[in-house]
Amino acid sequence: MNVKKQFMEGLLTKNPVLVQLLGMCSTLAITTSLFNGIGMGLSVTIILICSNVLISALRKVIPSNIRIAAYIVIIAGFVTIVDLLLQAFLPDLSENLGVFIPLIVVNCIILGRAEAFASKNGVLASALDGLFQGIGYTLTLIVMCVIRELLGAGTFGGGILNGGEGIRLLPEGLPAMQMVMPVGGFLTLGFLIAGSQWLVKRLEKKDKEAAK
Amino acid sequence: MKKESTFGYILRLSLTLLIITGVMALLLGSVNALTKDRIDQINAQKARDALAAVLPDAASAQEKTDFSDPTGQISQIYESETGYAIQLTVAGFGGDVDMMVGVSKTGEVLGVSIISHTETAGLGAVAAAKTSNGQAFRDQFVGMSGTLAVTKDGGQVDAISSATITSRAVTEGVNIALAWVAQNG
Repeated sequence: MNVKKQFMEGLLTKNPVLVQLLGMCSTLAITTSLFNGIGMGLSVTIILICSNVLISALRKVIPSNIRIAAYIVIIAGFVTIVDLLLQAFLPDLSENLGVFIPLIVVNCIILGRAEAFASKNGVLASALDGLFQGIGYTLTLIVMCVIRELLGAGTFGGGILNGGEGIRLLPEGLPAMQMVMPVGGFLTLGFLIAGSQWLVKRLEKKDKEAAK
Repeated sequence: MKKESTFGYILRLSLTLLIITGVMALLLGSVNALTKDRIDQINAQKARDALAAVLPDAASAQEKTDFSDPTGQISQIYESETGYAIQLTVAGFGGDVDMMVGVSKTGEVLGVSIISHTETAGLGAVAAAKTSNGQAFRDQFVGMSGTLAVTKDGGQVDAISSATITSRAVTEGVNIALAWVAQNG
């Protein structure tokens, strides 16, 4: 088990959004204010850890023919639990994220990690994988939110700071509305993927030089 | 190891899935039992807030128990000195939009408030958001009367950008409330 490698994979080299291109729907749709990004990221992280742990613990019991059905039941269960808890304790967030919380059920990150990692590795490693992949997802969402909110609405920290309005950094009228719309999501994501690829290549080069 | 018969294999598959489903159902049931009261309370509070937002004298409003509603979309009507608060459901972009419309006795909109919805975050959800553009969208209805439509359909209601369907739904809700008051008020 290599914790450092797992951490780097979740954060950068196998980042669920930027490299594996999983969970695009939520990534593009909800990254319009910081509050949404953090809330969605944390919800997915919690569900990912729970489902990874349970699936990993049951990996020898679940027959392979029905594994997808079993995974979906487990994931859907945890998603509904988080949905109910959010509705009860964080109603504002639950309202903002709306339909995207129930949709985590079909978020490929969770099923993807269940299939690719949790079904083949131990409980602790799977929990860490869930945590790191979740952190990678959350950080990507936060970066997307900050960029899109700044360019699209001219604010920072919408939904949390300054009574929900966010701190105004650009004057009204200057920000391009398009950035908080789908087109802005695709643009931001494209640039982020390009940037992360550049970083990964640079790190690989450094590693090779160090190995020489 | 003894070879498993087809029957035994199918039984093993079904039983495993049954147990997993059962355990998850149990978990869900307990979380539901824990959170149900709180969620109901929050929804009731939202309905009260919505009432206060659309009727100036909401405290004295009385619920009307019998009313005729040909559309079948009105769920509750409250009457006060100044007017009516009508709670109704319309179909939005992502599902039902549960909203409250205040209408004066003279047939003008006093306020619009959205209780619950499943519209797209950042787009249709603006209609219900506490932000300035959400507030502006709902406030523009105040004082309007007759039959309304969004500007795209030749009306006077400014739709939320990229959320025409949600805006149409809210406008339709306001129309239902206005029509009810025009007939019964």
